[in-house]
Amino acid sequence: MSDLRVLEIAAAAAELADSAEAGRGFLGLDPVTQNEPLLAAELARMSAGVCRADDALVGFAPNPGQPRQMFLASTSARPEPVTSLLGFLRTYCRSDSYLAMVPAGHPSAAAFESCRFTRIGTLRGHWYQSGEYRDITVYFAKAAVECPS
Amino acid sequence: MTLQGYREDDRDLLTGSWLAGELLGLPVPDRPPLAEPATVPPPSGDDDELCVLPGVAFVRYTGLDWVHRRARVEIGLREGHEDAASMLAGLAVDHGLRDLRLHRLYGWITPAVSPAARLLTEAGFRREVSVPDGFWLAGKLVEREIWALTHDE
Repeated sequence: MSDLRVLEIAAAAAELADSAEAGRGFLGLDPVTQNEPLLAAELARMSAGVCRADDALVGFAPNPGQPRQMFLASTSARPEPVTSLLGFLRTYCRSDSYLAMVPAGHPSAAAFESCRFTRIGTLRGHWYQSGEYRDITVYFAKAAVECPS
Repeated sequence: MTLQGYREDDRDLLTGSWLAGELLGLPVPDRPPLAEPATVPPPSGDDDELCVLPGVAFVRYTGLDWVHRRARVEIGLREGHEDAASMLAGLAVDHGLRDLRLHRLYGWITPAVSPAARLLTEAGFRREVSVPDGFWLAGKLVEREIWALTHDE
């Protein structure tokens, strides 16, 4: 488990901007093409929360059609930050299911797979990076699923 | 027929009995009278493009992203105009791909109430993801799907 530190919106945008490549696709944001004020505005629009967990950032945003379903993101391939976030969301936000939308090749796919998220589909050509359109893999988990790590 | 830009006179089109955020929102039959109608806001910035077919429906492109050249589409039809759904889906695709020059259009469909799958397939959309428990409807969680159309450049 990692200790979570909840960040204010402005601090979250600044840390996301510093994360560069690892932050690309974080809750659909892109710190390479979006500046800090825009990142902060988008996080606020989504009612998103961002936490620092050791060397990683983890984030969550409610599904507007079902607020107990959270979109998740991580900048790290390690499962521990995601495990901590799942515990936080289950306990304090009463979340009952989770979605993660991960660009192809992003390290956080390993974290979600370690936490027994299942792949439920692919968004084709949803993400443009380095001159080409890339797919987004969509992961899903119910809140009852506990990360084994 | 063609889509037109939104004017204040079209405000009545923005509220109706479809489901919020639906890609092809048809009036939901037997909707409980106390259920709040769905509504979309008038355009207020660069993130949205709002078009109408006067007296019939609105077509909204939201989350417009010019880097990734994509938008989430919402269509809301007024009661009594359900037969225009197929034409509207076609108009929405034409405007999104040809006029806005987008690469990808996508949106939410709720299979529990939507008979729109065939119409969307004819317009070029395909189901990409089925999200369990993705929507709260009539006192229970129901599946919601992401349908999308990708235009190869």
